[in-house]
Order: sequence, then structure tokens, then C-alpha cells
Amino acid sequence: MKKMRRGGLLPLPDQVGRKFYTTVNVLGEKENLKKILIVDDEEDMVWSLRQNINNDYLQVEIFTAASGEEALTVLSSNHIDLVLTDIRMPGMSGLDLLLEVKNRFPYTMVIIMTAFPSNEFKKEALLRGSLHFIEKPFDIKELRDLIRHALREENVFKGTVAGVGLADVIQINGLSRATSLLRVKQGEQLGVIYFQEGQVVHAMCGDLEGEDAFFKIMEFTGGRLDSMSFNDLPARTINAPVEALIIEAARRLDESGGGDSTGPDCADIDLEVQINEIKSAPAGGGINHGSGLAFAVQTGTEPVNREDEMSSLKDLLSEFTNIPGVNTACLVGRDGFLLDSIAMSGIDTEMIGAIASSGFGASESMGKQLGKGALSMSMIEFANGPVMLSPVGDDAFLVIVADKDANLGMIRLKIKKHASLIAETAAI
Amino acid sequence: MSEGKILDIAHISFLDMIKVMITMSGAASAKGALIRNAINTAEKIKEVDYPTFEDFLAAIENSTNPITQVEGKATHQGGFVFGLTNCPFGPSIKNYMGVFEKLPEGYADFTEEFNKPSKVTEIYRVGEGAGVSPFCSVHQPMRSAVAERISIGGKKIKIYQLGCKAGSGKKGFADRWLAETGISREVVDKTLDNHMCCYYLQIVD
Repeated sequence: MKKMRRGGLLPLPDQVGRKFYTTVNVLGEKENLKKILIVDDEEDMVWSLRQNINNDYLQVEIFTAASGEEALTVLSSNHIDLVLTDIRMPGMSGLDLLLEVKNRFPYTMVIIMTAFPSNEFKKEALLRGSLHFIEKPFDIKELRDLIRHALREENVFKGTVAGVGLADVIQINGLSRATSLLRVKQGEQLGVIYFQEGQVVHAMCGDLEGEDAFFKIMEFTGGRLDSMSFNDLPARTINAPVEALIIEAARRLDESGGGDSTGPDCADIDLEVQINEIKSAPAGGGINHGSGLAFAVQTGTEPVNREDEMSSLKDLLSEFTNIPGVNTACLVGRDGFLLDSIAMSGIDTEMIGAIASSGFGASESMGKQLGKGALSMSMIEFANGPVMLSPVGDDAFLVIVADKDANLGMIRLKIKKHASLIAETAAI
Repeated sequence: MSEGKILDIAHISFLDMIKVMITMSGAASAKGALIRNAINTAEKIKEVDYPTFEDFLAAIENSTNPITQVEGKATHQGGFVFGLTNCPFGPSIKNYMGVFEKLPEGYADFTEEFNKPSKVTEIYRVGEGAGVSPFCSVHQPMRSAVAERISIGGKKIKIYQLGCKAGSGKKGFADRWLAETGISREVVDKTLDNHMCCYYLQIVD
């Protein structure tokens, strides 16, 4: 019999030809836990998330699927609260899955994750109703915060608010100086309006962007409205004040005979917003609740676009030392001369570089002798934790020194993500 | 009766050890290890100040100059350009090739590795095309590191490796250091006609 332990993994019966695993709490009770479905074809990623999402402050039941198709099977037979999905997968993509989830399981929230961020993906994800978008690799704490806030259902009002027009919602966002986005859906038409400190700064609708998109959205006469926070603010395309935009929208509607002078009639809008505690906005965007009016937006960890901020090797190396359990990160020339480092006190990084050069070179030579191709990573396990070596560019390599409890999957993902940027920054 | 070819096993072991290092951990790592060793050796040299450049040259003539002590006598060609008549590794190479006819495998990779721009070539102003054999990666950084122990009239000096010549007669030039010092390639080429190594000495203001 398997020993039950907190956060332990128990195999569930095969459901679609592969095993799903669930995490149970200390008492083995999983009935009251929120259910999360992780969808990713990358085994390392699924393994890492499955191992690390649950901690003292977050306990969820975890399901996994390796494809969008598998995910739909799981969703059909389980009440899943939140889907965490990759975009690029064989078969059904994460974005297609998102669309299916929004159509078939409208109260299931979705977080999109990808190692290949692009504005097009983000735009598409937002238009299809994704709550959040997170770039791989991400800090597990960042993801936990995102999940925790997404699952705070007690702070969400859901339902239909009669007599509320889109213009009213926009005005209230302006008054409350909200930083958020409104996703507006009418039939097959979708639109997104971005607010930053109460100002409308960007809008998208179909192929339209900027004011054209805003005015197009204002032509919607009803539908569904979701208010949510956003990760990254796209380039600002709208500079006109909110009031001017609403008046201009009303004027255009008047001219076209499509509405009254107070703006579009949205009396039957389904309104879903979240009322949150008042808190200051995290650096890099996100939330500004200002007056604390009834219309606020969902809080959550607001990951900033860190690549824009990382201008030096030290910044890049700190990406590794910020991982709990990682105490030293060195960039070393293949000849063993240290290029840069962040190290815990007591470590002679110059000497580490020289010795690691020999170890790295030996690993490469072994691979060469065995016909294993180019070295992508080498890990040496010690009693007190591993040392990971990974090539960066043609002439250098990274040395990551970690404790035994460090999240190796996270280190690997960060190496994959940052190696080329480190090489570029170091000009190697 | 002829004694035949006699190996200098101390040198032969060193040359073969380089090959082992290349095989075991790659040319880059082997290069780094040799350079670090050379620099460590240089750092053991006692610091010295010569009142004038002429005193520095005189110390070469009487073999008390630290640079001379590690590589033999160089001659001043004028304009702070020096030529070294004999490569300090020449006898070892000659001895090895006299028995085995060619240098160990991997040496070409090693030489190419040394000529690549890197932190150490940047610090010591060596390589960049001026390496013609693996031994240059020991000799050139060591000379530059020894020069850091020398001052002239209280001013630091810097060495720029401009070129080198292999036993085969093939010349290597460090275009980068030629550009930085303003010394023409023709001057170096001409110096290498009669010397194995050519460098520039800068007195830092």
C-alpha cells in the first residue's frame, strides 16, 4: 500500500489511456480542493509543476493532460476550476483549447503559458478569454500567486446586471482609475479595451486596433463583459481622454442611427467582475484601485516583462540566484576564466571557473567520444546539492550551484530561456 | 658510435601532457589551465623599477631583466618594438620532432583556440592571430604578466604581442594589436624575418 503523505502523488485510474495524478492534502481529503488541470506536452514542465504548485499556502487537486484533446476529456468528467495550458502542443493548440473551454465550460478559468511569447499570441489569448498569460520559465511563486488569486471565487460577482451600458462601465473604470482590461463579446465579435490608471490606452477588435477598435466595440449592443487584469500592456494606441472617447462614440452612433445620445445600449450585458481588497499596484503595471468603487478588477501577480529590464549580466545571473536554493551563478569562459558571477560568500568563483572548465570540457569530450552530440547540460550531484553546467554561446558556460532542495526543473527552464540572451549580453 | 636520438623526457612529458589535457577536457580548458599556470609563475617574479628605458634595455643585455629571464634576450628594433631571436620552446619542439617527426595531435585546435578573442587575450594583449603553436599560449601571457611586475621611471609597462613565427617559418600577425599600437605590419614582418617573436612595449603614462 502506498504511503500517503502531504502533497504526495496517487495514481488515478487511466481515463484516456494515460495516468493522471492527483495531489491530496494531509488527510487524504480531496473533495473540497480546487481542481487544476495542467496541459502541456513537455514532460519536464508537467513534472515540475505537479511537484511544485502545492505548498503550505496553496493546496489544489492536480490533473494533467499532454494535449488539448486529452484536456477536453478530463474537463468532461471532472469539474475543473482552472486550466493551465501551454500554447504550442501537437494537435489542438492551447489557444484552440481555450476557445473550447470558454464555449463549453464558461466558468473554468484559463491561464496560458508559453515559452514563445509574442504579441499575436497574447492578443489571441485575450480575445479568446484567457484570464492570464505567463511566460515560461516563470517563478513558481509567481504562478502560485496567479493561481491563488484566480481561484478566489469568493471575491467574484457573476451574473447579469440589468441597465448597465458599456459606456457606464468605461466611465466607472475611468473614475476608479483602474488599470485593467475589459473583454467584450457580442455573438462572434470580440473586443478588448485596456485601461491604465483610468485612461483608455489601447483597444483591439478583429483586425482593428486603437480608436477604430474602441469605436467598433462601442457599437456592440449587448453581450458579455469580463473585467480582468493584464500581464503586459501593449504599445499605447489611444491618447484621447475617456470622456472624449465616449462622446465621440455616441456621436458616431447618432450619425449612424444606432443609439441614443448616452451611448450604446448594453442593458443585457452579462457582467463578471471581481471585487478585491484595495492594494497598491505591483511594479510594472497591474492594479490601481484608487477610490475603491464597486468596479474593481481582479488582482493577481502581475508578471512584468522582465527581459526588458535585464540589461546586464548580473541581472541575468540573478534570474538563477533568485530561484530558492540556488546560491551561486557564474558565467565562465570555456578556458576557465570567470566572466561574471553572483556567488554566496566563501566561494572562490575564480577557482570555481577554472575547475568547472575542466569538468565541463571533460563532459563535452565524453559526449564526443560516445557520439552523443553537443553537450546541452551537465549536472554533478553532491551530498549537499547539484552543480549544473550548461553551454552559453560558443565560448562560455554557466555554472549553477544549488542546494539539494532546489527546483531543478526551474533551473533547466531558465537556462533554456536565458542562454541566448546571456551570450548576447556577454558578447560571446 | 652514434648516440642516436635522445629524448628530453621532461620536455616530452610536458608536450604529451598538453595533448592529454586537450583530449580529456578540450582545447579551451587546456589552454586556460596552461595560461593560468603561466600567469601564476609570472606573479612569483619580484617587482622591479628601472629609472630609464635605457636601464631596462641594459638589464636585457646583462640578463637581469625579468622578461629576459623567462624567454632569453630580445633586441630592441627601435620604436619600442622588440624581436626575440629564439623561441624558448624551440629546443623542446625540435627534440620532440626529432624523435616523433610531428607534434602531438590536437595542437592545431589548441593554437586556433588561443587566437580566439577571449578575456585573457584581452587582458594580456596576446593571441588574436599571433599564436603559431600551443606554446605561445604559455609564453605570450607569461611575458605580459611578467611585464606587469616591471616599471620604468615609476610608470607601468604593457606588452602587446604583434606577431610570431613557427618553426616551419609561417608567420602569424595580431592585426588587432597592430591597430592598437599603430605599428605597421611591414615592421613586424621584417622583424620576424630574423626573429621568432615580435612585441611592442608601451610605457603607460
